[in-house]
Amino acid sequence: MSAATQYYTITIVVYVCANVIAAWGLDLQFGVTGVLNFAFIIFQAVGAYTAGVLSLGPSSSSGGFQTYLFGANLPFPLPIIGATLAGGALAAVVGLITLRRLRSDYQAMVMLVVSVVATIVVTAETGLFNGAAGLSLIPNPMQGIAGLSRQTQSWIFTAFCVALMIAIGAVMYAIVYSPHGRVLRAVRENEHALEALGRSATRARIEVFVIGGALAGLSGALLVEFIGAWAPNGWLYPETFVFFTAVIVGGRGSVAGVAIGAALIGVGIQQAVQYMPIGSDPTVLAAVEWIITGALTLVFLWARPQGLLPERRRRFARSVDVAPR
Amino acid sequence: MQVFVSAVGFGLVTAALLAICAVGFTLQFSVTNVLNLAFGSVMTGSGFIAYGLNIGGMNIWLAMVIAALCGGVISVLMNSLLYGPFIRHGTNLFGMVIVTISTAVISDHVIEAAVGPSFFSYNAPSGRALHFLDFLLTRQDLTIIGIAVAVTFATQLALQRTRVGKSMRGLSVNASLARACGIPTRRIVALAWFASGVMAGLGGVALFIETSTFSATTGSDFLIVTIAAAVVGGIGSARGAVLGALVIGIVTEVGAAYWDPQLKDVLAFAVLIVVLLVRPQGLFSQLATERAVVG
Repeated sequence: MSAATQYYTITIVVYVCANVIAAWGLDLQFGVTGVLNFAFIIFQAVGAYTAGVLSLGPSSSSGGFQTYLFGANLPFPLPIIGATLAGGALAAVVGLITLRRLRSDYQAMVMLVVSVVATIVVTAETGLFNGAAGLSLIPNPMQGIAGLSRQTQSWIFTAFCVALMIAIGAVMYAIVYSPHGRVLRAVRENEHALEALGRSATRARIEVFVIGGALAGLSGALLVEFIGAWAPNGWLYPETFVFFTAVIVGGRGSVAGVAIGAALIGVGIQQAVQYMPIGSDPTVLAAVEWIITGALTLVFLWARPQGLLPERRRRFARSVDVAPR
Repeated sequence: MQVFVSAVGFGLVTAALLAICAVGFTLQFSVTNVLNLAFGSVMTGSGFIAYGLNIGGMNIWLAMVIAALCGGVISVLMNSLLYGPFIRHGTNLFGMVIVTISTAVISDHVIEAAVGPSFFSYNAPSGRALHFLDFLLTRQDLTIIGIAVAVTFATQLALQRTRVGKSMRGLSVNASLARACGIPTRRIVALAWFASGVMAGLGGVALFIETSTFSATTGSDFLIVTIAAAVVGGIGSARGAVLGALVIGIVTEVGAAYWDPQLKDVLAFAVLIVVLLVRPQGLFSQLATERAVVG
């Protein structure tokens, strides 16, 4: 493979991994449990920023080029772990405020507002994460491995992403198809019946909110370590919609389906648009990408609401035999 | 003191914009229970229709009226061609949220692909500045406040006194009972969408006049603050929407005067959170549970 093809492959694979991990997070919330988290993208963002400041070193060392909170120079897996924790922690805070007493349609609206406010605060308070310009020059996480070319280091990072995705996929299967997964689906299907059986729907919602937030944070960390930059323009509130589309197209509640959906929507559409005969105006290209995403959502909700690979419905054999007459 | 009073003046203008939009948003929501996140796109669409007319030489206020009527028609078409079929197809409350957000994403980007990423402004003089106490308002500002007062009073009167208004209230409490009583549900729902679209149109053009520059996403961005106002008031209540608009409008502008203007929308959010922690259904709403969608 030529260097360019290698770079292209690496980029696609890393983006697919990050998108799939994030989409699984939203799938737990929206697909399995039915929480409409329209602020999902901010949890990816907080992960990315956390991983960024934990790899950049102290703010003062950049010579005033960029300002940010905290700033540490931690070795490779630590920024990613920190990002995951940050995603989960922010989700816990937001979840505890919004998910406890509010009607669920209010929850959806409040999440939208939260997402917009997060963007405003991060943009205006330049001391947090360098404002609208965002963080940049975040070092390549594998640069510590001496004696290897940049290319080989990137391949190692790619392998790490793939391995991580597979591991998280296994965990997703374990959660979704466990008895606890049934509790989560019950929140979606009939919350009152679940509460009548003595389970707390609110607790289940907050739980998936935190796990989903942590996965979003992790995905953000993978992206920022690879791209090396992160700014508010990359996580405006409509970006959440892309993950919703991925979950709907792939199949709500289906682990494998959502992975396919995330690869198709998050990366596939963008690649496909490049080959369409619509010129090269970046505004038009981006607009067409969004229009396709929106249209796909509508088409799937209408014609195939269960998605490409529908959630497996477990059927139980009749446990009580009908007495013979 | 002077800073405070003039900030309240700006707050009234913002509140007027919010009130027009929030009343339209909440009226349609209370009747149909469809959370229409494409409301902002109707605002933007109408705003650009008015821009086309205005550039062609038409007076901005006349253009506003025509654009508002177009907004009403767009809104009715959106319901009858898209939302209604989805509801009859069996899409539930949350499915409909996704349907409306998809519609918003598609329409905003169709507009963006058509007009490009640049910013536009109307050809409309803001009029002589008028001083009243320490208020500093232009003729444009006063006209928009007047429109807001007229729209909210007309809505309230129509809801309380007219047969259509009573039917709407009936529908919002119990749709199947309303239908059983012989209320022509389809027609009332269509009327609610039309009224909501007209207010989106008025609100959109008024917003574009006030912001002086606008782009393809201005309407949808403003919708978020509108939603905050509607939720603070208690969604589904016209009185609540007006109160929410006043609270959010004045708090954000006073905050902008004394604090960082970039952060004024954060105050709107703070108000929202405090209100919801104390009263989770909003200030004026009675319903604490959600209902089925009505197509």
